[in-house]
Amino acid sequence: MTDQILQAHELVMKFGQKCVLNRISMWLERGEILAIVGGSGSGKSTLMRQLALLLTPTSGSIELFGQQVLKLSEFRTLPLRRRMGVMFQNGALFGDLTVLENISMPLREHTSLSQETIEQIAMLKLALAGLEPEAAALFPSQLSGGMRKRAAVARGIAMDPEILFLDEPSSGLDPISADAMDDLVLHLKNTLGLTIVLVTHDMDSLCRVADRIILLADARIAAEGTLQEVVASSHAAARQFFHGRRGRAVGVTYDQ
Amino acid sequence: MNQARTQTQVKHRTGFSIEGSRATCVGDWQAEALHDVEKQLSRVDWPAGAIQFDLGGITSLDTVGAWLLHRTMTDLDAGGRQLSLLNINEQHQMLLDLVEGRSDSTDTPPKPYVPGLLESIGRHTESQLLQYLEFLAFIGKLALVSVQLFLRPWRLRWGLVAKELQSAGVNALPIVGLLAFLIGIVIAYQGGIVLRDYGANIYVADIVGLSMVRELAPLITAIIVAGRTGSAYTAQIGTMMVTEEVDALRSIGVAPLEVLVVPKVIALIIALPLLTVFADVMGLFGGMIMAGSMLDLNASTFISRLTEAISMNSYLSGVGKAPVFAAIIAAVGCFQGFRVYGSAESVGRQTTISVVQSIFLVIIVDAAFSVAFSKLGI
Repeated sequence: MTDQILQAHELVMKFGQKCVLNRISMWLERGEILAIVGGSGSGKSTLMRQLALLLTPTSGSIELFGQQVLKLSEFRTLPLRRRMGVMFQNGALFGDLTVLENISMPLREHTSLSQETIEQIAMLKLALAGLEPEAAALFPSQLSGGMRKRAAVARGIAMDPEILFLDEPSSGLDPISADAMDDLVLHLKNTLGLTIVLVTHDMDSLCRVADRIILLADARIAAEGTLQEVVASSHAAARQFFHGRRGRAVGVTYDQ
Repeated sequence: MNQARTQTQVKHRTGFSIEGSRATCVGDWQAEALHDVEKQLSRVDWPAGAIQFDLGGITSLDTVGAWLLHRTMTDLDAGGRQLSLLNINEQHQMLLDLVEGRSDSTDTPPKPYVPGLLESIGRHTESQLLQYLEFLAFIGKLALVSVQLFLRPWRLRWGLVAKELQSAGVNALPIVGLLAFLIGIVIAYQGGIVLRDYGANIYVADIVGLSMVRELAPLITAIIVAGRTGSAYTAQIGTMMVTEEVDALRSIGVAPLEVLVVPKVIALIIALPLLTVFADVMGLFGGMIMAGSMLDLNASTFISRLTEAISMNSYLSGVGKAPVFAAIIAAVGCFQGFRVYGSAESVGRQTTISVVQSIFLVIIVDAAFSVAFSKLGI
């Protein structure tokens, strides 16, 4: 039996008249890397924000770690939020704190460990995220784009979450940094046993890291399954997405 | 140690105990539950010789727990004790390996450099001096651009000037009017209390008239406009700096000063004197209302006294200060906008600085005007 730690049922999101998500149902299995893909404005970030409890859907239900979260009060969701980490697209690091302080912050808030231990653990997470120790004393404004994303990942995993949400982890990075980011995602999954939800439109990332893919188009799930299954899907949006010129990365030729 | 032993009897309770050479760990070794264990580990009186760590009772382990174990064992190892792990499962072993593999980076977390008192004072002084130099340079550039535009007025963005006039002038009328009216009332009331005792009711017109027209109306208007419009200028230009819009203007070949600054300065130099006149009127009106209700001074008496009390010189010396205040507010607002660097956070900081600096400079200049007028006998 598979272990589903997150189930979403019939999620609908409307902004005014515009329907961004239309009755989306999905689940997340423990230990998998799920990629949510789709064109710009297809609602993939919205879906991720709903799953990460940052946005309340217009209707629908989300069951997280066996609890119906949308019925809980904000206060009651706090323990659940601690079991999830989020890396925001531009890092969302606190600008007036150093990288080390940024990573220490969740530990400082939620544990009563000594300052020394907290800093050691923050340095550990920094190393896990692939940053040099020297980066710890820098402020976010002094970091490059790739370093900022890594620092954000380090903060996301500070409390050893069970689910890690990554919003566009490789966007805005050069190919080498993007590759390194993919390595990091796989590494985190293997070492910490994390379940990862990935929002991306980077084809290379998709084929390297994703166990399962959800393709969003027109506010609905256009295709779902492993890479092969999604690529083989006959849905128009899937063909457009994977069989375009950029689909070469997944080994699909243009005229197929 | 007795306390620790009782802890082990409660199942799933996070804990640690040592008996002979056997250290037993039980419960959830997770970040949120480990503070007692951390304290305990640092106080334990370790026996000499070999120590076995029994991890069989650990129900869950995260990196924090693994790190505490690793740190303790490293310390013991350095103390020359033989260590062994008992009942460890595969997942816990993986975590311990993971922590061990990264442990060299945790030695001494680098700290950001914090300068000492003397250095802070020095740096602050230097940055303030540099800022004044930059401000002078900015004024110089602004003057140059203004002269060029004065020679070729068709190049000036009159549309932008009109838009700024609308937002800095017309839209400010209600708040300026209301505040000036209230201040007129307050002055008439405070003056009236004293004047009534002397039976000199009529002179309330002198007090309200002179103080409003010469000092309060220009100053209050300038302060409101600095808070309202100067801050908006800084925020607008600052946001454009953050989003690289200013650089985009430069790259298109448009001088940012010409588009962003000159129309604002011109608009404010036109708007502030007009607002000041409006504030004069509203303030006198407020004084008149108060004089009527408190001192039974009717409107026609009040106004006829005003015409005697306020000379043309008084009126002009009040309104005449307004364009100078306007130039200060617009220049400081725009200058601080261009100093925004890096993140959105900096926009807020520079906006605060902009308002404080422009009000500061306005009051300094007002004092200078007062001194000059008194020497000149105006």
